[in-house]
Amino acid sequence: MAASEAFTMQQAKEALRDGKLMGWKCTTCGHTQATPMLVCPVDRKRAIEGVELPPTGQVVSFTVQNVSSEEYINDIPFAFVVVELDNKVRVSGWLPYVAKAADLPLGTKVRFTPSYKPGVQFEKA
Amino acid sequence: MRDVYLVGVGQTRYGKLSSTLREAAAEASLAALDRAGLEPTALDGAFLSNAFGLVERQGHLGPLVMTALGVPEVPCTSIEAACASGSSAFREAFVNVAGGFADTMLAVGVEKVSQLDTVTATSYFSYGSDYVYEGACGASFPGLYATMATAHMKKHGTTEEQLAAVAVKAHENAASNPKAHFQKKITLDDVMKSMVVASPLKLYDCCPFSDGAAAAILTTKEKAQALGAPLIRVAGSGRAGAIASLPDRPDLTTVPSTRVAADQALKMAKKTVADIDFFEVHDCFTIAEVVATEDLGLFKRGEGARAAADGATRVDGKRPVNPSGGLKAKGHPVGATGLGQINEVFDQLTGKAGGRQVANAKTALTHNVGATGGSCAVHMFERSN
Repeated sequence: MAASEAFTMQQAKEALRDGKLMGWKCTTCGHTQATPMLVCPVDRKRAIEGVELPPTGQVVSFTVQNVSSEEYINDIPFAFVVVELDNKVRVSGWLPYVAKAADLPLGTKVRFTPSYKPGVQFEKA
Repeated sequence: MRDVYLVGVGQTRYGKLSSTLREAAAEASLAALDRAGLEPTALDGAFLSNAFGLVERQGHLGPLVMTALGVPEVPCTSIEAACASGSSAFREAFVNVAGGFADTMLAVGVEKVSQLDTVTATSYFSYGSDYVYEGACGASFPGLYATMATAHMKKHGTTEEQLAAVAVKAHENAASNPKAHFQKKITLDDVMKSMVVASPLKLYDCCPFSDGAAAAILTTKEKAQALGAPLIRVAGSGRAGAIASLPDRPDLTTVPSTRVAADQALKMAKKTVADIDFFEVHDCFTIAEVVATEDLGLFKRGEGARAAADGATRVDGKRPVNPSGGLKAKGHPVGATGLGQINEVFDQLTGKAGGRQVANAKTALTHNVGATGGSCAVHMFERSN
Protein backbone atom coordinates (compact mmCIF):
# COMPACT_ATOMS: atom_id res chain seq x y z
CA MET A 1 0.00 0.00 0.00
CA ALA A 2 1.39 3.40 -0.96
CA ALA A 3 1.94 5.88 1.86
CA SER A 4 -0.69 8.23 0.42
CA GLU A 5 -3.36 5.56 1.00
CA ALA A 6 -2.41 4.97 4.64
CA PHE A 7 -5.18 5.17 7.21
CA THR A 8 -4.46 8.34 9.15
CA MET A 9 -4.80 9.48 12.74
CA GLN A 10 -7.05 12.27 11.45
CA GLN A 11 -9.40 9.67 9.92
CA ALA A 12 -9.38 7.73 13.19
CA LYS A 13 -10.20 10.90 15.11
CA GLU A 14 -13.12 11.74 12.82
CA ALA A 15 -14.43 8.17 13.09
CA LEU A 16 -14.24 8.40 16.88
CA ARG A 17 -16.56 11.40 16.81
CA ASP A 18 -18.93 9.43 14.56
CA GLY A 19 -19.04 6.65 17.14
CA LYS A 20 -16.51 4.25 15.60
CA LEU A 21 -13.43 3.05 17.44
CA MET A 22 -10.73 2.47 14.84
CA GLY A 23 -7.34 0.78 14.79
CA TRP A 24 -4.63 -0.37 12.40
CA LYS A 25 -4.41 -3.93 11.07
CA CYS A 26 -1.63 -5.78 9.25
CA THR A 27 -3.34 -7.60 6.38
CA THR A 28 -0.56 -10.18 6.09
CA CYS A 29 -0.28 -11.40 9.71
CA GLY A 30 -3.44 -9.95 11.23
CA HIS A 31 -1.70 -8.03 14.04
CA THR A 32 -4.00 -5.20 15.10
CA GLN A 33 -3.29 -2.28 17.38
CA ALA A 34 -5.03 0.91 18.47
CA THR A 35 -2.03 3.14 17.73
CA PRO A 36 -0.79 3.99 14.24
CA MET A 37 1.67 1.87 12.31
CA LEU A 38 3.02 2.15 8.78
CA VAL A 39 5.04 -1.04 9.21
CA CYS A 40 3.80 -3.98 11.27
CA PRO A 41 6.01 -4.52 14.37
CA VAL A 42 5.28 -8.26 14.28
CA ASP A 43 6.02 -9.35 10.70
CA ARG A 44 7.59 -6.00 9.59
CA LYS A 45 5.37 -5.93 6.49
CA ARG A 46 3.82 -2.75 5.12
CA ALA A 47 0.32 -3.95 4.21
CA ILE A 48 -1.56 -1.92 6.83
CA GLU A 49 -5.20 -0.83 6.74
CA GLY A 50 -7.65 0.92 9.03
CA VAL A 51 -10.06 -1.40 10.82
CA GLU A 52 -13.07 -0.84 13.06
CA LEU A 53 -12.55 -2.24 16.55
CA PRO A 54 -15.29 -3.78 18.69
CA PRO A 55 -16.82 -1.20 21.05
CA THR A 56 -16.90 -3.46 24.12
CA GLY A 57 -14.33 -5.15 26.31
CA GLN A 58 -13.08 -5.49 29.85
CA VAL A 59 -10.81 -3.44 32.10
CA VAL A 60 -7.41 -5.15 32.44
CA SER A 61 -5.78 -2.37 34.46
CA PHE A 62 -6.60 1.14 35.63
CA THR A 63 -5.97 3.94 38.05
CA VAL A 64 -8.27 6.44 39.69
CA GLN A 65 -6.68 9.87 39.36
CA ASN A 66 -7.22 12.67 41.84
CA VAL A 67 -4.60 14.87 40.20
CA SER A 68 -4.78 15.55 36.47
CA SER A 69 -3.46 17.62 33.60
CA GLU A 70 -5.30 20.79 32.58
CA GLU A 71 -7.44 18.92 30.03
CA TYR A 72 -9.13 16.83 32.75
CA ILE A 73 -9.08 19.27 35.65
CA ASN A 74 -12.90 19.42 35.77
CA ASP A 75 -13.24 15.63 35.56
CA ILE A 76 -11.31 14.44 38.63
CA PRO A 77 -11.70 11.95 40.10
CA PHE A 78 -11.91 9.67 37.06
CA ALA A 79 -10.36 6.40 35.92
CA PHE A 80 -7.69 5.99 33.25
CA VAL A 81 -8.20 2.49 31.89
CA VAL A 82 -6.50 -0.11 29.73
CA VAL A 83 -9.26 -2.12 28.08
CA GLU A 84 -8.97 -5.46 26.33
CA LEU A 85 -11.59 -5.33 23.61
CA ASP A 86 -13.65 -8.38 22.64
CA ASN A 87 -11.15 -9.14 19.80
CA LYS A 88 -8.25 -9.07 22.37
CA VAL A 89 -6.84 -5.78 21.05
CA ARG A 90 -5.99 -3.38 23.89
CA VAL A 91 -6.88 0.29 23.93
CA SER A 92 -6.51 2.98 26.55
CA GLY A 93 -9.22 5.38 27.54
CA TRP A 94 -10.96 7.00 30.45
CA LEU A 95 -14.08 6.45 32.51
CA PRO A 96 -15.78 9.41 34.17
CA TYR A 97 -17.44 9.34 37.59
CA VAL A 98 -15.16 6.76 39.20
CA ALA A 99 -14.16 8.07 42.62
CA LYS A 100 -12.20 5.20 44.12
CA ALA A 101 -10.43 2.02 43.06
CA ALA A 102 -13.02 -0.23 44.72
CA ASP A 103 -15.66 1.13 42.32
CA LEU A 104 -13.97 -0.46 39.31
CA PRO A 105 -13.03 -4.13 39.82
CA LEU A 106 -10.62 -5.56 37.25
CA GLY A 107 -12.63 -7.36 34.60
CA THR A 108 -15.43 -4.78 34.61
CA LYS A 109 -17.20 -4.80 31.23
CA VAL A 110 -17.08 -1.44 29.47
CA ARG A 111 -18.36 0.08 26.24
CA PHE A 112 -16.87 2.84 24.09
CA THR A 113 -18.96 6.00 24.02
CA PRO A 114 -18.40 9.08 21.80
CA SER A 115 -17.32 12.16 23.72
CA TYR A 116 -16.46 15.82 23.31
CA LYS A 117 -13.13 15.02 25.02
CA PRO A 118 -10.02 14.24 22.94
CA GLY A 119 -9.45 10.76 24.42
CA VAL A 120 -11.37 7.51 24.08
CA GLN A 121 -14.18 7.50 26.61
CA PHE A 122 -15.77 4.36 28.05
CA GLU A 123 -18.84 3.70 30.19
CA LYS A 124 -19.71 0.63 32.22
CA ALA A 125 -21.49 -1.84 29.91
CA MET B 1 36.64 0.48 20.64
CA ARG B 2 38.70 2.43 23.18
CA ASP B 3 38.30 2.15 26.95
CA VAL B 4 36.46 5.14 28.42
CA TYR B 5 36.94 6.54 31.92
CA LEU B 6 34.71 8.69 34.15
CA VAL B 7 37.06 11.30 35.61
CA GLY B 8 34.74 13.90 37.11
CA VAL B 9 31.15 14.60 38.10
CA GLY B 10 29.30 17.61 39.42
CA GLN B 11 25.75 18.56 40.28
CA THR B 12 23.70 21.35 41.74
CA ARG B 13 21.45 20.84 44.72
CA TYR B 14 18.14 19.27 43.63
CA GLY B 15 14.89 21.04 44.56
CA LYS B 16 13.85 24.58 43.76
CA LEU B 17 16.60 26.63 42.11
CA SER B 18 16.61 30.35 41.40
CA SER B 19 19.22 30.03 38.64
CA THR B 20 18.32 29.72 34.94
CA LEU B 21 18.82 26.56 32.88
CA ARG B 22 22.13 27.74 31.42
CA GLU B 23 23.48 28.86 34.80
CA ALA B 24 22.58 25.57 36.50
CA ALA B 25 24.05 23.52 33.62
CA ALA B 26 27.25 25.57 33.61
CA GLU B 27 27.57 25.30 37.41
CA ALA B 28 27.31 21.49 37.31
CA SER B 29 29.69 21.31 34.33
CA LEU B 30 32.34 23.43 36.05
CA ALA B 31 32.03 21.36 39.21
CA ALA B 32 32.62 18.20 37.13
CA LEU B 33 35.62 19.76 35.34
CA ASP B 34 37.06 20.90 38.70
CA ARG B 35 36.69 17.43 40.15
CA ALA B 36 38.55 16.03 37.13
CA GLY B 37 41.21 18.72 37.39
CA LEU B 38 40.42 20.06 33.92
CA GLU B 39 39.63 23.44 32.38
CA PRO B 40 36.73 23.85 29.90
CA THR B 41 39.30 24.17 27.09
CA ALA B 42 40.04 20.46 27.54
CA LEU B 43 36.61 19.59 26.07
CA ASP B 44 36.35 18.29 22.53
CA GLY B 45 32.57 18.31 22.60
CA ALA B 46 29.46 18.05 24.73
CA PHE B 47 25.94 16.63 24.86
CA LEU B 48 23.25 18.41 26.82
CA SER B 49 20.11 16.69 28.05
CA ASN B 50 16.94 18.61 28.73
CA ALA B 51 13.25 17.79 28.30
CA PHE B 52 11.27 20.92 29.16
CA GLY B 53 13.47 23.84 28.11
CA LEU B 54 10.55 25.49 26.38
CA VAL B 55 9.07 26.16 29.84
CA GLU B 56 11.81 28.81 30.04
CA ARG B 57 11.13 29.77 26.38
CA GLN B 58 14.55 28.42 25.50
CA GLY B 59 15.54 25.94 22.84
CA HIS B 60 19.06 25.27 21.51
CA LEU B 61 20.47 25.45 25.01
CA GLY B 62 23.84 23.79 24.28
CA PRO B 63 25.71 26.76 22.77
CA LEU B 64 24.48 29.00 25.59
CA VAL B 65 26.01 26.68 28.17
CA MET B 66 29.28 26.36 26.27
CA THR B 67 29.42 30.14 25.93
CA ALA B 68 28.85 30.50 29.68
CA LEU B 69 31.74 28.06 30.17
CA GLY B 70 33.99 30.33 28.08
CA VAL B 71 34.33 27.83 25.22
CA PRO B 72 31.71 28.84 22.63
CA GLU B 73 33.69 26.99 19.95
CA VAL B 74 33.00 23.59 21.56
CA PRO B 75 30.03 21.85 19.88
CA CYS B 76 27.14 20.88 22.14
CA THR B 77 24.15 18.90 20.90
CA SER B 78 20.88 18.56 22.81
CA ILE B 79 19.52 15.09 23.52
CA GLU B 80 15.93 14.39 24.52
CA ALA B 81 14.71 10.98 25.63
CA ALA B 82 12.19 12.12 28.28
CA CYS B 83 13.36 11.01 31.73
CA ALA B 84 16.21 8.99 30.16
CA SER B 85 17.70 12.11 28.54
CA GLY B 86 20.65 12.33 30.95
CA SER B 87 21.88 8.78 30.48
CA SER B 88 21.26 9.05 26.74
CA ALA B 89 23.50 12.15 26.58
CA PHE B 90 26.09 10.21 28.61
CA ARG B 91 25.82 7.34 26.15
CA GLU B 92 26.53 9.63 23.18
CA ALA B 93 29.53 11.16 24.98
CA PHE B 94 30.76 7.62 25.71
CA VAL B 95 30.33 6.61 22.06
CA ASN B 96 32.36 9.63 20.90
CA VAL B 97 35.30 8.78 23.15
CA ALA B 98 35.08 5.02 22.59
CA GLY B 99 34.92 5.51 18.84
CA GLY B 100 37.91 7.82 18.75
CA PHE B 101 36.01 10.87 17.54
CA ALA B 102 36.91 12.81 20.69
CA ASP B 103 39.20 12.38 23.68
CA THR B 104 37.38 14.37 26.35
CA MET B 105 33.61 14.86 26.41
CA LEU B 106 31.11 16.54 28.71
CA ALA B 107 27.59 15.24 29.29
CA VAL B 108 25.42 17.70 31.18
CA GLY B 109 21.72 17.54 32.01
CA VAL B 110 19.45 20.22 33.36
CA GLU B 111 15.79 20.81 34.19
CA LYS B 112 13.85 23.65 35.73
CA VAL B 113 10.11 23.28 36.26
CA SER B 114 9.52 24.65 39.77
CA GLN B 115 8.03 27.85 38.36
CA LEU B 116 5.04 25.76 37.18
CA ASP B 117 2.04 24.93 39.36
CA THR B 118 1.18 21.24 39.82
CA VAL B 119 -1.55 21.13 37.14
CA THR B 120 0.67 22.83 34.54
CA ALA B 121 3.67 20.64 35.38
CA THR B 122 1.44 17.54 35.23
CA SER B 123 0.27 18.69 31.78
CA TYR B 124 3.82 19.27 30.48
CA PHE B 125 4.99 15.89 31.76
CA SER B 126 2.01 14.17 30.10
CA TYR B 127 3.39 15.35 26.74
CA GLY B 128 6.15 12.77 27.33
CA SER B 129 3.56 9.96 27.14
CA ASP B 130 2.04 8.76 23.86
CA TYR B 131 -0.12 11.84 24.21
CA VAL B 132 -3.01 11.00 21.87
CA TYR B 133 -3.48 7.55 23.41
CA GLU B 134 -2.42 8.21 27.03
CA GLY B 135 -2.22 11.88 28.04
CA ALA B 136 -5.30 12.87 26.05
CA CYS B 137 -7.17 10.01 27.74
CA GLY B 138 -6.45 11.73 31.04
CA ALA B 139 -3.35 9.79 32.08
CA SER B 140 -0.77 11.66 34.11
CA PHE B 141 2.65 10.07 34.68
CA PRO B 142 1.65 8.94 38.17
CA GLY B 143 -1.47 7.54 36.43
CA LEU B 144 0.54 5.50 33.91
CA TYR B 145 2.80 3.99 36.58
CA ALA B 146 -0.24 3.47 38.81
CA THR B 147 -1.79 1.44 35.99
CA MET B 148 1.37 -0.71 35.99
CA ALA B 149 1.10 -0.98 39.80
CA THR B 150 -2.53 -2.16 39.61
CA ALA B 151 -1.46 -4.87 37.15
CA HIS B 152 1.53 -5.86 39.35
CA MET B 153 -0.66 -6.13 42.45
CA LYS B 154 -3.17 -8.28 40.56
CA LYS B 155 -0.54 -10.60 39.01
CA HIS B 156 1.88 -10.92 41.93
CA GLY B 157 -0.02 -9.94 45.06
CA THR B 158 2.19 -6.90 45.65
CA THR B 159 0.74 -4.71 48.42
CA GLU B 160 0.53 -0.97 48.97
CA GLU B 161 2.51 -1.40 52.22
CA GLN B 162 5.36 -3.09 50.34
CA LEU B 163 5.44 -0.20 47.85
CA ALA B 164 5.46 2.24 50.77
CA ALA B 165 8.58 0.52 52.14
CA VAL B 166 10.42 1.54 48.95
CA ALA B 167 9.60 5.19 49.69
CA VAL B 168 10.69 4.93 53.34
CA LYS B 169 14.07 3.49 52.26
CA ALA B 170 14.50 6.21 49.62
CA HIS B 171 13.92 9.00 52.14
CA GLU B 172 16.27 7.36 54.63
CA ASN B 173 19.07 7.37 52.05
CA ALA B 174 18.32 10.90 50.81
CA ALA B 175 18.49 12.18 54.39
CA SER B 176 22.27 11.74 54.19
CA ASN B 177 22.58 13.20 50.68
CA PRO B 178 23.27 16.96 50.92
CA LYS B 179 22.19 17.45 47.27
CA ALA B 180 18.81 15.74 47.72
CA HIS B 181 15.45 17.46 47.21
CA PHE B 182 14.05 15.76 50.35
CA GLN B 183 16.29 15.32 53.35
CA LYS B 184 13.83 14.05 55.90
CA LYS B 185 13.01 10.53 56.93
CA ILE B 186 9.43 9.32 56.70
CA THR B 187 7.50 6.37 58.15
CA LEU B 188 5.30 3.72 56.55
CA ASP B 189 2.38 5.46 58.19
CA ASP B 190 3.31 8.78 56.54
CA VAL B 191 3.19 7.09 53.13
CA MET B 192 -0.02 5.16 53.74
CA LYS B 193 -1.84 8.25 55.03
CA SER B 194 -0.70 10.59 52.26
CA MET B 195 -3.27 11.58 49.64
CA VAL B 196 -4.02 9.23 46.76
CA VAL B 197 -2.58 10.85 43.62
CA ALA B 198 -3.45 7.98 41.27
CA SER B 199 -4.60 4.77 42.91
CA PRO B 200 -2.80 2.80 44.29
CA LEU B 201 -0.01 5.43 44.32
CA LYS B 202 -0.06 8.01 47.07
CA LEU B 203 1.84 11.28 47.31
CA TYR B 204 4.86 9.66 48.98
CA ASP B 205 4.97 6.92 46.31
CA CYS B 206 5.77 9.68 43.78
CA CYS B 207 8.94 11.59 42.97
CA PRO B 208 8.76 15.38 43.20
CA PHE B 209 9.01 17.91 40.37
CA SER B 210 12.64 19.02 40.86
CA ASP B 211 15.00 21.58 39.41
CA GLY B 212 18.62 20.56 39.10
CA ALA B 213 21.63 19.98 36.91
CA ALA B 214 24.22 17.20 36.80
CA ALA B 215 27.31 16.60 34.68
CA ALA B 216 29.99 14.03 33.94
CA ILE B 217 33.37 14.13 32.17
CA LEU B 218 34.57 11.19 30.09
CA THR B 219 38.04 10.70 28.68
CA THR B 220 40.55 8.14 27.44
CA LYS B 221 42.61 5.81 29.61
CA GLU B 222 45.82 7.69 28.84
CA LYS B 223 44.33 11.04 29.82
CA ALA B 224 42.65 9.61 32.93
CA GLN B 225 45.96 8.14 34.07
CA ALA B 226 47.74 11.45 33.41
CA LEU B 227 45.17 13.24 35.61
CA GLY B 228 45.99 10.95 38.50
CA ALA B 229 42.24 10.63 38.98
CA PRO B 230 40.53 7.58 40.47
CA LEU B 231 40.25 5.15 37.57
CA ILE B 232 36.56 4.47 37.05
CA ARG B 233 35.99 2.67 33.78
CA VAL B 234 32.68 2.80 31.95
CA ALA B 235 32.77 -0.96 31.55
CA GLY B 236 29.44 -1.31 29.75
CA SER B 237 26.87 0.79 27.95
CA GLY B 238 23.44 -0.35 26.77
CA ARG B 239 20.61 1.51 25.10
CA ALA B 240 17.24 0.13 24.10
CA GLY B 241 13.78 1.12 22.99
CA ALA B 242 10.40 -0.54 23.47
CA ILE B 243 6.73 0.01 22.69
CA ALA B 244 6.03 3.43 24.19
CA SER B 245 2.29 3.15 24.67
CA LEU B 246 0.92 1.06 27.57
CA PRO B 247 -2.15 -0.28 25.72
CA ASP B 248 0.09 -1.81 23.03
CA ARG B 249 2.05 -3.85 25.59
CA PRO B 250 1.00 -7.40 26.31
CA ASP B 251 2.33 -7.24 29.89
CA LEU B 252 2.09 -4.13 32.07
CA THR B 253 4.28 -5.55 34.85
CA THR B 254 7.60 -5.36 32.99
CA VAL B 255 9.63 -2.81 31.00
CA PRO B 256 11.22 -4.79 28.13
CA SER B 257 13.80 -2.11 27.26
CA THR B 258 15.39 -2.52 30.71
CA ARG B 259 16.33 -6.13 30.06
CA VAL B 260 17.70 -5.42 26.58
CA ALA B 261 19.80 -2.41 27.67
CA ALA B 262 21.07 -4.27 30.75
CA ASP B 263 22.04 -7.32 28.70
CA GLN B 264 24.01 -5.09 26.30
CA ALA B 265 25.83 -3.29 29.12
CA LEU B 266 26.64 -6.44 31.10
CA LYS B 267 27.80 -8.30 27.98
CA MET B 268 30.14 -5.44 27.09
CA ALA B 269 31.45 -5.42 30.68
CA LYS B 270 31.70 -9.23 30.76
CA LYS B 271 29.82 -9.16 34.06
CA THR B 272 26.61 -10.51 35.52
CA VAL B 273 24.18 -8.78 37.86
CA ALA B 274 25.74 -10.78 40.71
CA ASP B 275 29.01 -8.88 40.16
CA ILE B 276 27.42 -5.46 40.86
CA ASP B 277 27.90 -3.92 44.32
CA PHE B 278 25.03 -1.42 44.09
CA PHE B 279 22.41 -0.10 41.69
CA GLU B 280 20.99 3.32 40.87
CA VAL B 281 17.68 2.49 39.17
CA HIS B 282 14.83 4.54 37.77
CA ASP B 283 12.38 4.95 40.67
CA CYS B 284 10.15 7.83 39.56
CA PHE B 285 7.49 5.95 41.51
CA THR B 286 7.87 3.17 44.08
CA ILE B 287 6.43 0.64 41.61
CA ALA B 288 9.07 1.68 39.06
CA GLU B 289 11.87 0.60 41.42
CA VAL B 290 10.14 -2.73 42.06
CA VAL B 291 9.69 -3.43 38.34
CA ALA B 292 13.29 -2.34 37.61
CA THR B 293 14.79 -4.65 40.23
CA GLU B 294 12.79 -7.55 38.78
CA ASP B 295 13.62 -6.70 35.15
CA LEU B 296 17.33 -6.37 36.03
CA GLY B 297 17.22 -9.79 37.68
CA LEU B 298 18.03 -8.68 41.23
CA PHE B 299 14.93 -10.52 42.39
CA LYS B 300 12.61 -13.08 40.86
CA ARG B 301 9.59 -11.80 38.99
CA GLY B 302 6.91 -10.72 41.41
CA GLU B 303 9.24 -10.70 44.43
CA GLY B 304 10.71 -7.19 44.10
CA ALA B 305 8.30 -5.47 46.44
CA ARG B 306 8.58 -8.13 49.13
CA ALA B 307 12.40 -8.02 48.90
CA ALA B 308 12.31 -4.24 49.38
CA ALA B 309 9.97 -4.55 52.36
CA ASP B 310 12.35 -7.15 53.84
CA GLY B 311 15.27 -4.67 53.66
CA ALA B 312 17.22 -6.33 50.82
CA THR B 313 17.64 -3.01 48.96
CA ARG B 314 18.88 -0.90 51.88
CA VAL B 315 22.43 0.50 51.81
CA ASP B 316 23.47 -2.33 54.15
CA GLY B 317 21.21 -4.89 52.46
CA LYS B 318 22.11 -7.76 50.13
CA ARG B 319 21.32 -5.70 47.02
CA PRO B 320 21.71 -1.96 47.72
CA VAL B 321 19.40 0.03 45.43
CA ASN B 322 19.38 3.81 45.10
CA PRO B 323 21.72 4.80 47.92
CA SER B 324 21.41 8.40 46.63
CA GLY B 325 17.75 8.45 47.62
CA GLY B 326 16.75 7.85 44.00
CA LEU B 327 14.41 9.92 41.88
CA LYS B 328 11.84 9.36 44.60
CA ALA B 329 13.67 11.32 47.34
CA LYS B 330 16.89 12.73 45.91
CA GLY B 331 14.61 14.24 43.25
CA HIS B 332 13.89 14.03 39.53
CA PRO B 333 15.06 17.02 37.48
CA VAL B 334 14.17 15.11 34.29
CA GLY B 335 17.05 16.07 31.99
CA ALA B 336 19.61 15.80 34.80
CA THR B 337 18.43 12.59 36.45
CA GLY B 338 20.51 10.03 34.54
CA LEU B 339 23.67 12.08 35.10
CA GLY B 340 22.75 12.53 38.76
CA GLN B 341 22.78 8.73 39.06
CA ILE B 342 26.33 8.77 37.65
CA ASN B 343 27.29 11.42 40.23
CA GLU B 344 26.26 8.93 42.91
CA VAL B 345 28.36 6.21 41.26
CA PHE B 346 31.43 8.47 41.36
CA ASP B 347 30.83 9.40 45.02
CA GLN B 348 30.30 5.77 46.01
CA LEU B 349 33.25 4.33 44.06
CA THR B 350 35.56 7.00 45.49
CA GLY B 351 34.30 6.44 49.05
CA LYS B 352 32.79 9.94 49.33
CA ALA B 353 29.15 9.02 49.97
CA GLY B 354 29.17 9.73 53.71
CA GLY B 355 26.26 8.27 55.66
CA ARG B 356 24.88 6.46 52.60
CA GLN B 357 28.19 4.82 51.61
CA VAL B 358 27.89 1.25 50.34
CA ALA B 359 30.77 -0.62 52.02
CA ASN B 360 33.65 -1.54 49.68
CA ALA B 361 31.76 -0.57 46.53
CA LYS B 362 33.89 -1.27 43.44
CA THR B 363 31.21 -1.85 40.78
CA ALA B 364 27.93 -0.08 40.03
CA LEU B 365 25.08 -0.14 37.53
CA THR B 366 22.84 2.77 36.52
CA HIS B 367 19.41 2.29 34.94
CA ASN B 368 17.45 5.23 33.54
CA VAL B 369 14.06 4.99 31.83
CA GLY B 370 12.31 7.44 29.50
CA ALA B 371 8.54 7.71 30.05
CA THR B 372 7.21 4.23 30.84
CA GLY B 373 10.04 2.45 29.02
CA GLY B 374 10.03 3.71 25.45
CA SER B 375 13.65 4.64 26.13
CA CYS B 376 16.14 2.98 28.45
CA ALA B 377 19.88 3.33 29.07
CA VAL B 378 21.97 1.15 31.36
CA HIS B 379 25.61 1.74 32.24
CA MET B 380 28.05 -0.34 34.24
CA PHE B 381 31.04 1.13 36.08
CA GLU B 382 34.11 -0.43 37.63
CA ARG B 383 36.80 1.08 39.84
CA SER B 384 40.12 -0.28 38.68
CA ASN B 385 42.64 1.29 41.09
